Amino acid sequence: MNKFLETKNITKTFGKLKALDDVNFNLYRGKIHGLLGENGAGKSSLMNVLSGIYQPEKGAIYLDGQRRKISSPDIASQLGIGMVHQEFRLVESFSIKDNLTLSKSNIFKGDFLKSFKKYSEIFALNANENEIISNLSVGEKQKIEIMKLIFNDSNIMLLDEPTAVLTPQETSQLKISLITLAEEDMKTIVLITHKLKEIKEFTEIVSVMKNGKMVAKDLPTNDVTDNQLIELMMGTVKKSTINKNNEIGQTKLKVENINFFESVSNIKKLEEINFQIKAGEILGLAGVSGNGQVELANIISGIEKIFEGKIIINNNDVSKKGVRSRKKLNLSYIPENRLGVGLAPGVSVIDNSIVRDYFFTKLGPHLSKSRTSNYLQSLIKQFSIKAPNPKAEISTLSGGNMQKLLMGRELVGNPDVIIASQPTRGLDVNAVNAIHNLLIDQRNKGSAIFLISEDLDELFKLSHRLLVIFEGKIVKSFNTADANINDIGLAMAGVSE
Amino acid sequence: MQTSMILDWPWQVLVNKYTLSKRQVVNELSTFYSFLLGFLIALIIGSVILIIQDKSPGDTFSLMFKLSIGSVNSLSSSLNKATPLILAGLGIAIINTVKLWNIGAEGQIFMGAIAVNLIYINLQLSNSTSFILILLFSSFLGGAFCILIPAVTKVLFGVNEIITTLLTNYIVLGLTIYLVNGPWKDPDSLNFPAAAYVGKEVYLPNIFGKLSYGFLICILFTAFAHYLKNNSVFGYEMRIAGGSEMTAIYAGINAKQKAFFAMLIGGGFAGLAGGVELLSQTHRVSTGISQGFGYTAIIVAAITGMRPIGIFLVGSLFGALSIGGSVIQTIGVSTYIADIIQASTLFGALIIQFFFNYQLKRVDDG
Repeated sequence: MNKFLETKNITKTFGKLKALDDVNFNLYRGKIHGLLGENGAGKSSLMNVLSGIYQPEKGAIYLDGQRRKISSPDIASQLGIGMVHQEFRLVESFSIKDNLTLSKSNIFKGDFLKSFKKYSEIFALNANENEIISNLSVGEKQKIEIMKLIFNDSNIMLLDEPTAVLTPQETSQLKISLITLAEEDMKTIVLITHKLKEIKEFTEIVSVMKNGKMVAKDLPTNDVTDNQLIELMMGTVKKSTINKNNEIGQTKLKVENINFFESVSNIKKLEEINFQIKAGEILGLAGVSGNGQVELANIISGIEKIFEGKIIINNNDVSKKGVRSRKKLNLSYIPENRLGVGLAPGVSVIDNSIVRDYFFTKLGPHLSKSRTSNYLQSLIKQFSIKAPNPKAEISTLSGGNMQKLLMGRELVGNPDVIIASQPTRGLDVNAVNAIHNLLIDQRNKGSAIFLISEDLDELFKLSHRLLVIFEGKIVKSFNTADANINDIGLAMAGVSE
Repeated sequence: MQTSMILDWPWQVLVNKYTLSKRQVVNELSTFYSFLLGFLIALIIGSVILIIQDKSPGDTFSLMFKLSIGSVNSLSSSLNKATPLILAGLGIAIINTVKLWNIGAEGQIFMGAIAVNLIYINLQLSNSTSFILILLFSSFLGGAFCILIPAVTKVLFGVNEIITTLLTNYIVLGLTIYLVNGPWKDPDSLNFPAAAYVGKEVYLPNIFGKLSYGFLICILFTAFAHYLKNNSVFGYEMRIAGGSEMTAIYAGINAKQKAFFAMLIGGGFAGLAGGVELLSQTHRVSTGISQGFGYTAIIVAAITGMRPIGIFLVGSLFGALSIGGSVIQTIGVSTYIADIIQASTLFGALIIQFFFNYQLKRVDDG
């Protein structure tokens, strides 16, 4: 089998961090390749090098045996390499057609309607080519992103975690589409993921990265076992079974008949939400992002003030009260948007560490430097956070350490109620385990925890009960012990039997 | 494919060979070093211009040095000159804590002076100390009033404060021209448009020699601004609000309220600059109250990375440069050489600061 694309000894550093360390990687024409690795393993960096966004300090790229220098995304595109990023890069106000044909180097010259019809069928897309992008759903936008590569004449399609935003049903559809593209159009596809299931289902060949190194390449997917891949990816396999027979206490949080309309558009975002959480209990909320989770968390935490219904914390009706009075009743909120909501970008580590507690510990108008620095040091110790310079800007920390700082700050006061929204999104396995252990510890100490997540493994692992939210309504509720993944996946996609 | 289409323009060769990457750790004193190097660059630029004009840079700079800080008297003049620059610069720095820009310090300086004259005309107190304090306080309120509309429109409607504060400068300058040509015109000033002088009883006295008490006010307010920005709860809340409005709301901090008060306080500082300048130097309202202090203050604040103590030091240096620049006319050198040095210092410092924040790395082909 001939190598279509080959990289030799690619090295890329960011500061002291070696994002890519002597990476050799091969692609074969017409195959779907899996690139597996934890977060921060270097998968996205490698793809960014191939698509001309990053320039490696060392190494060479060969395409069809010829050495090529990919010094910009435009050149990558001329060479037929295209990438779909995790964040969409579509012009929201343009039509589907304009987005698909938008290109500097490879302007589409064929019969647009004919091709559009063909690929709409392959992708099961039901939209007119003149539809504006902003009217499309996330899943549809994803399809347009991938179709854009085809219309740009890309033969190598790099897809960075394309399934992260998709429902299980949409993911199955994507699989069918990609297999068709590889078989019929001889497209060479790279699927970046850290989900084993997708590697198994989608790909023929798998490569594994760890800590910026390629630890295994060109493995035939059918010949490797899950355990082998896990070992390559993480070194050791940790199995943790959580005991869910812990002590359950009094009701800590009651959410009664919440209805919420978005203020600008007046669209109903939440409808008749009711639930209770007791001390020591973890209630999971499953659902694809954008179905009202953020709004619900904001209402419970007091950020969103205009809504119908009641929020009762420890038998105190706080529906009309603000963020601080809820904090005083010992509610903690770990928001989904880590940097931007939970932590303020551009502000130092130490300033970010006291966001929850500064108004408990302040002395009148004075903010004591020694107190705040002691506070940060105790967080660093207790939650083993790597933050060497307290004055450094928060975004110099890694994602895992940012989340540990945020969690530590919110958990150190032993809160009665915790809202944890996507607490492990984008973190590597070790950080995820650390965060899970923190939540379990806190559960055992008697906190009532509302866990909002898209990660079903996480929800099954941690929660006692599960709710499924779809379009602002709780469509299903399960006891985790009796639940099955398919039922939840269907409920998340809005399919009701 | 068509590699021939990929042209290697000279810049592209550079881009291909080098890459910029942000440094993880930035030296804490980097702002100070960038200022020093920026100032050195500015002196070199100034020297080149002087040499082109057939003047000796050595003679010119030593004369500037001698006449700006060479004696107690000249040093006092320099510090008096620096006072409004520093106060206005502090105001800009306070507002920048919430990541907003005050381009309106110039207008606020005028408004501070106008407020002083307004209160002076309508209120006569026998105790001159309390009268002076009341007048200084009104200049603070005048500056705050001047930024009120930008602050309200920013907070309520999100109108860009850079535009609104800049525009208020022209409004206030127009108001000043109207007042000194109309209702407040001093008949004794002949054809020069100016208001009447204030009485000697409200002149800010000198500490010693020519050094005005205005400079003492300047020191006190520098300390106050430093405390407010770095050690107070309000400063902390401003930093969070400036970092991310969403984080502020999440923390229970009213971000809009912080932005509003930061703007008023910052405007007040610049207003105070106008009040001090009137009571200690010009003693009357005219269009000459400020010689662009409000704009130079932006340079001072930006060079120092919005640090109050840095503003105090750089402001003092810039005051000396202005005094030095005004005296070198006697040897036939334009006073604008001082302006060129001030502006080049900012350019130089910003460029050097860039290299403290980023590093250029050679791409290795391997």
